[in-house]
Amino acid sequence: MDSEELRGMEVDELVDARGTACPGPLLAAKKSLGKIDSGQTMEILSSDEGTKRDVPKWAKKKGHEYLGTVEESGYFRIFIRKK
Amino acid sequence: MAKMTMGLFSGSLDRLTAAGVVLGGAAADDMDVDLFVLLQGARAFKKEIAEDPDQLRLSENDHLREEFLESLDRLNVSPWLEFFRQAKELTNVTVHICGLAGKIWGGEKLEDFVDIADDICGIGEYLTSAEEADIHLFI
Repeated sequence: MDSEELRGMEVDELVDARGTACPGPLLAAKKSLGKIDSGQTMEILSSDEGTKRDVPKWAKKKGHEYLGTVEESGYFRIFIRKK
Repeated sequence: MAKMTMGLFSGSLDRLTAAGVVLGGAAADDMDVDLFVLLQGARAFKKEIAEDPDQLRLSENDHLREEFLESLDRLNVSPWLEFFRQAKELTNVTVHICGLAGKIWGGEKLEDFVDIADDICGIGEYLTSAEEADIHLFI
């Protein structure tokens, strides 16, 4: 999905992990994934540069769909769909 | 599910923090973790020492200890023990304390160590665990 589509998406779960250090955003994503059902979407906000690569890799490894990342000023919005 | 065995020899603040971050990653990945707390590590895991950073040094550049602690605080990085607790909540982490190491630092019983310690073990169990693991780290 392109940035515009992602920005306009209504997600089922929003996880704000800004201000936490590695592996904080990854763990927050894992915890919140338990709150949504298969096929639902989740957006993770992170200000940690490493997370931008970590979360997509983790999601793919676990079989979830990585939808894309939007870069805002000072943080990232990472979108995934639960398998 | 992948299995990780970690031999934690170090009882220094920096290495304990690094080990904690690695455990956090393992927890995110749902790995089964066997953590073996060896010599200096066993001292850091003693109840009266674990939560008191004044009792622990850095493994390298200890003259920068204050800067290190201030940076962790500024970056919102948890104290090392919190990483271990969190990993244990999220995945299957078993904390084994080396019996000999415990005795060296005056810890004979499981109760002498932090509450996340599960048992006191011998070297045979560590090696068997490492032999069966997908990942083996020695820190």
